[in-house]
Amino acid sequence: MGLLELDALHLRVGARTLIEPLSLRIEAGEQVALIGASGAGKTSLLQAMALALAPAAGSLRLAGQDAWRLSSRDRHWLRRALMLAPQHPPLPPRQRVATAVLAGRLPGATMAESLRMLFSPNEAQARLAFEALDRLELGDRLWSRVDQLSGGERQRVAIARLLVSNARLWLADEPLSALDPQRAQRVLAVLQDAARAQDRTLVCSLHQVDLACRLFPRVIALREGRVVHDGPPQRLGAKQLDEIYEGLADGSPALAQDPSLSSPPQAMCR
Amino acid sequence: MSVGRSGSGGRVAVAGDGHGAAPWRRDPAAARRLGLAVALLVLLWPLLVWCEFRPWELLDERSLRATMRFAAQFLTPRVDLEFLALLAAETWRTVAMATVGLALAWVIAVPMALLATARLSVSALAGRMGRGPAALRWLVRTVLVVLRSVPELVWALMLVRVVGLGPGAGVLAIALSYGGMLGKVYAEILESADATPTQALLRGGVGRLQALLFGALPGCADELVSYTVYRWECAIRSSVVLGFVGAGGLGQQLDNATKMFAGAEVATILLIFIALVAAADRVSAWLRPARDAEPSRPARPPVRHGLRLLLTGLLALLIASFATLPMRWGELLGAGALAQMGRFIAEFFPPQLAPGFLARVGQGALETVAMSALGSGLAAVAGLAIALVASRPSGPLRWGTRLLLNALRSVPELVWAAILLVAAGLGPMPGTLALALHTTGVLGRLMAEALENAPPQTAQALRWAGASRWQVFAFATLPQAAPQLLSYTLYRWENNIRAATVLGVVGAGGLGQMLSLHLSLFQMRETCTVLLAMLALVMLVDACSYAARRKLNR
Repeated sequence: MGLLELDALHLRVGARTLIEPLSLRIEAGEQVALIGASGAGKTSLLQAMALALAPAAGSLRLAGQDAWRLSSRDRHWLRRALMLAPQHPPLPPRQRVATAVLAGRLPGATMAESLRMLFSPNEAQARLAFEALDRLELGDRLWSRVDQLSGGERQRVAIARLLVSNARLWLADEPLSALDPQRAQRVLAVLQDAARAQDRTLVCSLHQVDLACRLFPRVIALREGRVVHDGPPQRLGAKQLDEIYEGLADGSPALAQDPSLSSPPQAMCR
Repeated sequence: MSVGRSGSGGRVAVAGDGHGAAPWRRDPAAARRLGLAVALLVLLWPLLVWCEFRPWELLDERSLRATMRFAAQFLTPRVDLEFLALLAAETWRTVAMATVGLALAWVIAVPMALLATARLSVSALAGRMGRGPAALRWLVRTVLVVLRSVPELVWALMLVRVVGLGPGAGVLAIALSYGGMLGKVYAEILESADATPTQALLRGGVGRLQALLFGALPGCADELVSYTVYRWECAIRSSVVLGFVGAGGLGQQLDNATKMFAGAEVATILLIFIALVAAADRVSAWLRPARDAEPSRPARPPVRHGLRLLLTGLLALLIASFATLPMRWGELLGAGALAQMGRFIAEFFPPQLAPGFLARVGQGALETVAMSALGSGLAAVAGLAIALVASRPSGPLRWGTRLLLNALRSVPELVWAAILLVAAGLGPMPGTLALALHTTGVLGRLMAEALENAPPQTAQALRWAGASRWQVFAFATLPQAAPQLLSYTLYRWENNIRAATVLGVVGAGGLGQMLSLHLSLFQMRETCTVLLAMLALVMLVDACSYAARRKLNR
């Protein structure tokens, strides 16, 4: 039994289809990269996996439970099994970094623990947050306010939130998009090592195709809401990569913004 | 141990754990937070003493019996046709007074707000504001403070002596004090919004008015409209209160009814108030952009189809109000009225400054401060509790609590005080409770709106991770809305210091009681001293609150 099983999952908003009926299965402990052009449906798929987007049809089984057949209370309980790090982490201004990171421990925490984290983290809690941040090269910002952080630092706060959480399934939506290439590699390494060490499953959307192909044993490629590749990156041919990013190679804005895509995509997996 | 950034990353070097505190041990804000909490608790005690705050007195047998008797009369409102027809006419007069007053206030407020806001300063673009413009802004702000520091009831009490009984005094009183309020808040709203679009336009050499229209207004138009409509509701309540000093409208009827202990008539009039304010609330809700009902769907563009229709309606209301009020503009602004006003003002000078009198004024000022602070504090706690329920997306609880908030808010402090006096007798406690009741309604509604308007993404991120409802509230919704909630509370405190002075008029003590006493004895010099004390007090509270809010918004 896989940790996460999608069966003919169909995502739609009004008449607009986000994801065509899609089936896939992710085993516990797997590390999966999601790639695809902007608008291909990576974020929608991750949100569906995070139970944040109700499917129009099909089913989603998480840890053996059919999530959308549960009562909303049971489904909410099931959410403790996963955590999503959004691309632009929404953090309340004025909150301190320590508290923002410890929010990853909230699911399942008692009221006393939660209040402690909010007002004055105790030593064990502060240490937990510090260690996660320190691995992400942010240890010195532990007591800063989140509104003083840059975009890349906020993304790392969201990753630190994953690192401290008890969720078994970590979902990350382009967690490296605001980082410079060198740091992106280091942060991804930390995330993957932590997932391995803590026995977590990682699904991570990336637009750094080279990193996805080099570091993930399994790559899922989306194009216009359809899976066009699912498997080891070695089997991803140049033609397929061209297809995935078709219409982007002619210098559309999404490509121009991202330095890692400025060379032809097929060169990256060779 | 050493904490520092090493060369490549920003990674903290953890060297020699045994030598000192680990980097996660020092929480720099902990001491300050604890100190603040202790200071607040220490401050609370004298407040309770000065307000003679003994709520259990409300529950003793004698006052309970009096309350029940009064409440029983309320159960049978008077609804015969003659009375209702009279009330309909008086209701229209109340609305018209509020509308005309607010329109005049708007005319005063807009130019002053534009002068007062630092947002449109060209010289401030390059660092510090120039000395001339800064002085002008300071002057305009001071005028605004003076205008709104004198409660509308006091403006009206004085204007009645000059322009005589009738709606003129009421309209002018509303125009003056609301002009001050609107001007100040407009300027603050403009300043609280994101500065970058306006600055970008100004730096690009665009004129100030254009920068206002294209840079500043789009970001805060909703808030400005929402606040103006909200102030219109307040003006309706004010115009009711002004009836107590002879300006006509529902307030005068209410005054007559309470003086004759006609509980049934009081009940009818109160019901009409509540209906009036509820109607204004619907208008305000309609004007605000639609909320997203479904979090899982992309945001819908705000629905504003009725806007043009509504604005036409408001314009018609305004014209009708101007047309129907027996205002005698010529007399109000004629030479005779101005001369009379001059004579009246001359009677106030010089103020009474005998030490014994000043000591009594000081005592009164302390009572007024205590009443306003405790009333606002109680209301903030109660208002937040109710707002939590009222900001639920739907369900009977949402509508029930909104109804409760509307009812609390529609009844002015002065009327609450008049009702509570029956139960608790004279003194500062009924005044404090009256303030708290009305302010709970106001703050509860503003807080519910602030909670609803908080960006939902932060809360969603936690909810999607399986955090419980109260955790989401404590970690995402509340921290996002907290500065605004505190800011509203501080602002209401400023407002309540004015209200607390007015409550003295019905016997709640403090400066207001002294004012009404000396005014009724025609002791104008003493009245002047009390007025000056009120002005100083309001400015002091204003300055404290402004400083606190600046700190909040940092």
